[in-house]
Amino acid sequence: MLLQTQLPQWTALGPALILAITALVLFVIDSVDPDSTDSALLAGVSVVGTLAALGVAAWFLAAGTGQVGTGGEITLFRDALVVDGMSLFFTAIFTSVAAMVFVASYDYLKDRPDQAEFYSLVLLATTGMALLASSNSLATAFISLELTSLPSYALVAYLKRNRGSVEAGLKYFLIGALSSSVFVFGISLVYAVTGSLLFSDVASALGDLDQSFRGVAGIGVLMIAGGFAFKTASVPFHFWAPEAYEGAPAPVSAFLSSASKAAGFAVAFRVFVEAFPIATAVDLGIDWVLAFGILAVVTMTLGNFAAATQENVKRMLAYSSIGHAGYVLIGLAALSAGAATNGDVLGASMAHLLVYGFMNTGAFLFVALVEHWGVGRTFEDYNGLAERAPMACAAMTVFMFSLAGLPPFGGFFSKYFLFASAIGAGFWWLAAFGALNSALSLFYYSRVVKAMWIEESDGSFELTSRPIGLYAAIMVAAVGTLVLLPGFGPVIETAQTVAAALFG
Amino acid sequence: MNPWIAIGALAVVGVGIPLGMMAASAILRPSVPEQGKSAIYESGEIPTGTARIQFNIQYYMVALLFVVFDIETVLIFPWTVIYRSALEQGVSLGAVLAPMLVFIGILVVGLVWAWRNGAVKWVKSPRASRRKTERQS
Amino acid sequence: MAGAFDYTPAIVLLPFLSFLLALGVGRSMPKGGALAGIAATGGSLLLSVWAMLAVANGGTYNQTIYTWAAGTGNSFELTFGLLVDPLAAMMLVIVSLIAFLVHVFSLGYMNDEGETGLPRYYAGLGLFTASMLGFVVANNLLMAFMFFELVGLCSWLLIGFWFREEAPPSAAKKAFLVTRFGDYFFLVGVVAVFATFGTAAFAGEGSFPALAEAALAGEAATEINTFGFAPQTWFTVVGLLVLGGVVGKSAQFPLHTWLPDAMEGPTPVSALIHAATMVAAGVYLVARMYGFYALSPTALGIIAFVGGFTALFAATMGVVKREIKQVLAYSTISQYGYMMLALGAGGYIAATFHLMTHAFFKALLFLGAGSVIIAMHHNENMWDMGGLKERMPVTYWTFLAGSLALAGIFPFSGFWSKDEVLYEALAHGLGGTPLLLAAWAMGLLAVFFTGFYTFRMVFLTFHGEPRTDVARDPHGVGWNVKAPLTVLGVLAVVAGFVNMVPVAKLTGAHIEFLHDWLAHGLGGLTSEHYGELTGQFAGYETGYVGSELTTVLLSGALSLGLALAGAGLAYKLYNVPAPVEHTDRLGSVKTLLFNNYYQDEYQVWLADTAARNVARGADKFDQGVIDGVVNGISSVSLFSGSRVRRIQTGVVSNYAALLTLGLVALLLGIGLMGGWFL
Repeated sequence: MLLQTQLPQWTALGPALILAITALVLFVIDSVDPDSTDSALLAGVSVVGTLAALGVAAWFLAAGTGQVGTGGEITLFRDALVVDGMSLFFTAIFTSVAAMVFVASYDYLKDRPDQAEFYSLVLLATTGMALLASSNSLATAFISLELTSLPSYALVAYLKRNRGSVEAGLKYFLIGALSSSVFVFGISLVYAVTGSLLFSDVASALGDLDQSFRGVAGIGVLMIAGGFAFKTASVPFHFWAPEAYEGAPAPVSAFLSSASKAAGFAVAFRVFVEAFPIATAVDLGIDWVLAFGILAVVTMTLGNFAAATQENVKRMLAYSSIGHAGYVLIGLAALSAGAATNGDVLGASMAHLLVYGFMNTGAFLFVALVEHWGVGRTFEDYNGLAERAPMACAAMTVFMFSLAGLPPFGGFFSKYFLFASAIGAGFWWLAAFGALNSALSLFYYSRVVKAMWIEESDGSFELTSRPIGLYAAIMVAAVGTLVLLPGFGPVIETAQTVAAALFG
Repeated sequence: MNPWIAIGALAVVGVGIPLGMMAASAILRPSVPEQGKSAIYESGEIPTGTARIQFNIQYYMVALLFVVFDIETVLIFPWTVIYRSALEQGVSLGAVLAPMLVFIGILVVGLVWAWRNGAVKWVKSPRASRRKTERQS
Repeated sequence: MAGAFDYTPAIVLLPFLSFLLALGVGRSMPKGGALAGIAATGGSLLLSVWAMLAVANGGTYNQTIYTWAAGTGNSFELTFGLLVDPLAAMMLVIVSLIAFLVHVFSLGYMNDEGETGLPRYYAGLGLFTASMLGFVVANNLLMAFMFFELVGLCSWLLIGFWFREEAPPSAAKKAFLVTRFGDYFFLVGVVAVFATFGTAAFAGEGSFPALAEAALAGEAATEINTFGFAPQTWFTVVGLLVLGGVVGKSAQFPLHTWLPDAMEGPTPVSALIHAATMVAAGVYLVARMYGFYALSPTALGIIAFVGGFTALFAATMGVVKREIKQVLAYSTISQYGYMMLALGAGGYIAATFHLMTHAFFKALLFLGAGSVIIAMHHNENMWDMGGLKERMPVTYWTFLAGSLALAGIFPFSGFWSKDEVLYEALAHGLGGTPLLLAAWAMGLLAVFFTGFYTFRMVFLTFHGEPRTDVARDPHGVGWNVKAPLTVLGVLAVVAGFVNMVPVAKLTGAHIEFLHDWLAHGLGGLTSEHYGELTGQFAGYETGYVGSELTTVLLSGALSLGLALAGAGLAYKLYNVPAPVEHTDRLGSVKTLLFNNYYQDEYQVWLADTAARNVARGADKFDQGVIDGVVNGISSVSLFSGSRVRRIQTGVVSNYAALLTLGLVALLLGIGLMGGWFL
């Protein structure tokens, strides 16, 4: 199935276009009836649009659109956007997460005003992520990064009568503004020394760069790295994450911590591999591999250590999400110039992000379910929950153990491949730190499981309802987490193939 | 010579000049404190109340809508400039016209949505009207 | 073509299906799942025969079915696959035939006796059969190991079938633990094979025996990792590790102690364990990877010596036992000793031959013993029997045929195979490997004891006057007991005719069918290739007393003479109307033999003192060092975690400051390293 020969080239952007159109459709619906609280209609349209985008992305991925087998990457708009296996792979992650979030939001937002805004904001952010994964120039990267970020700020503050939510939104916005300025300053420095914003041109210009400009180029590169570190919640740009995840509505936390993080990695992978090739960068003394190595170790250590002492489950998950950003950073930190293992390492990171998309979204959605019941947020509040909601708690147990990387769940293989590929690439110390942190993470993940299943409930609370949408989303995430264990073979193969194409 | 030295020198000069001017004027000027000097300049009007008031959110709404149209104009302008010559050089009408129509269409959807959701509806803020009555009394 | 090999997986899956059926709906099935088991094993038997016919027509099959784990890069894969060559095909037929007959016999032994828990029993039998069949067709060492373990698990389930009594669970545990002890070495061996060769396939170009051979011949195509040892030394080490599992499962000295205790299980299970499945698995494994062992004279020598010693050692213990099944148990150990002796002595065909004939006559003897036990209302003491000859003629005649085969009396099947085992050991011993002569001598001596205890058992059970009331009026047995006995009785008589080496040598007629059978098949897995290997790498050559013919005849005459002498002694002592115990004449040796050379005692002592001390040390280490470290780490983690928490002040301007400082620190660090500021 050669897509390029059958369809016009711009259709390769299909997933992003579908997402944008769905957002517009929601605006139209809300314009027709601004006071509508018809959750079923709004959530239904969003889910259908997202699933359509997911389907198209999966179809393109299976058909080999933009991959080596069918003529290589498709570039559009004078190379400003590119569609290849990696962008489609990440689009599949974003849309999967968004679909789960929409299904869960059906219950979470019930009877609230301004529902249409919620759905369309999430859809716009998802559009931004899809474009982010397809960016081939620093300008489009910045624009789509902002398209992802701006709706996120509003979404975090969505509960506008809730002080925590508004405060979190403001903090997120301030740190985001600072990071964006750092990012765009970095872009300007890189543009200053290379004279181009296109990744390929930047790479070739860096190749014959005058040595005296390397300081400027280096500062630019690291500032760009800072912009991505904000998006992926990596140290030292992570400060917003615990506050924003805790204050935001839980479905938004799920969306931010899974999809938004993956988007940050998607663009970071492409920018650093394509625009700042390792060999060139190292010649110039811009050792960004080392920088990411340091960031990876510090991020995973800080995230896991801080998570270990939390009392609030949502905040614990926020820190665990920082820790996972550290694991995924291994994908950029275990690279070396011209090594054959580069594709494996990067592919393992991408596969981990996919699995993480399911298990982490599921975990936050479980928190959303608990919030929906009004049970409470600390570990103690979870005591004895399994007696009342065994199915959901079983799913949560799956998420926790999978996040910790225990077999037989999807997280085991993805983490295993990640560490194994790091060792294979000669970065055993990264894998060692990762393994140590995973061991620590088991402590706080199992605290949740212990509270749910072993501890006796002290208070008497009634679970008033069984929200069908939240349950469905949690179950989809749980099944995804489980199915990704036996189904991990094709995933890792696809991921490593598309990642290797990036180095080609 | 290392360019960083030049950059550093520029920074020193850049910080030094304003600081030096302020220091020089502080040394030279006579010090005559007077109330009128610290009053807020309002083009001759005598200011009432404090400047730290909360503006009604509607100001920002209008400002945002203005920015939307501003940007729109900025983008439409170069398009109109090249429109005719592009057509003359054989670019199809669709390829020239469609992107701008899509762009304006999206903006229209946004505007309609904002309108319908009350962005241009002047809402009476209870606090603002209360303050007004306080000032008048 | 949709040939026989396409159905090979079904051979394994049919009994597995019967296991699932018996487990799931056995309660509501007629006969507690027995019929399903009979149908399944019958189907397996038919398919096995078909596969064997296909192999006879020159076909072989070596195919990977499923790769369940593949490493990244060029590391190894873990697979399930099928390997059907003459050896496997023969074994398939044997195993499915015995399993089929045991299922039929169980109708008489279990159903008719009104046992409870029959679904569990038939589920166990089904799984047992399926695991063994899976083991037989395994095409790589890891898969073989997995099924090997399954076989062990099933033996535990079945030996402990009567778990409400005291002895069976304990015997089951013992069988499980002792074989597991051997399996530890096996597992290490499997890992070592993977680490050395990167593959565990038995057959084909890239199989580990082929790689090992190429490495020793100095023409290794791929690099293999011998961990700094000389290749031959390392191969010997690996071979001996795998041999650990073999010694455990095939009940060779010193891990044979579980087998006599395993008699606590139902008798059909004993027949299955001893004739075709668990115990045979060990010897089969050595035969399966014989191309690997043939490269190491040291390993071969150890195998031969352990085998010869076990043969003699177990035979001596067999002469004093009172229970009929105990005698058979020691005879099993002894007979598997012969097979190991043959394998160690380079007699691959002889070992396979003995494996086959032994499967038939030992299954026959166990089922015969089972029949006697039914008749005696589950009393197994031979001193309470006597004179059963007239009362149960079918059992008597078939049992006698089996006994003659076991004792190795001409022309029963056991004679031919045991004779070939001893001949191989003698010939290769004379050919310049004197160590084999010692093993041969032990094996030869064991022939005498075998003849003696076998006929002691026959005479005590069937001859003379009935010594108890039960023996005077035994319980009758049905068709489902007699039919399997008859089939096996015939086989015990005729199975030896497939490979009458002495006759062939004498007459020049070409009747060594088994030689021909094992000489074809997959390249690298044929008996001819093994012969070359033992000659090339282990230095095995054939030597004769006089000519080849005289050696053959001499060897046959010697073993037959000794067997007859043993049988004759038994006849003289026990074929009297009222036999008495002669064991007192043995003096202190009697106590020694009754206590099985104190094997159990010393092993328990070893386990008690050594293991207890090691365990205490490990416990101290665990409590002190490990727990201390773990507790220390956790408190350090929690402490530093709470410190880390404090960075998160909640004040956004602090965040902005920290963020900027962090970025500047990173910039300065990387910049200084990269030399930007120079």
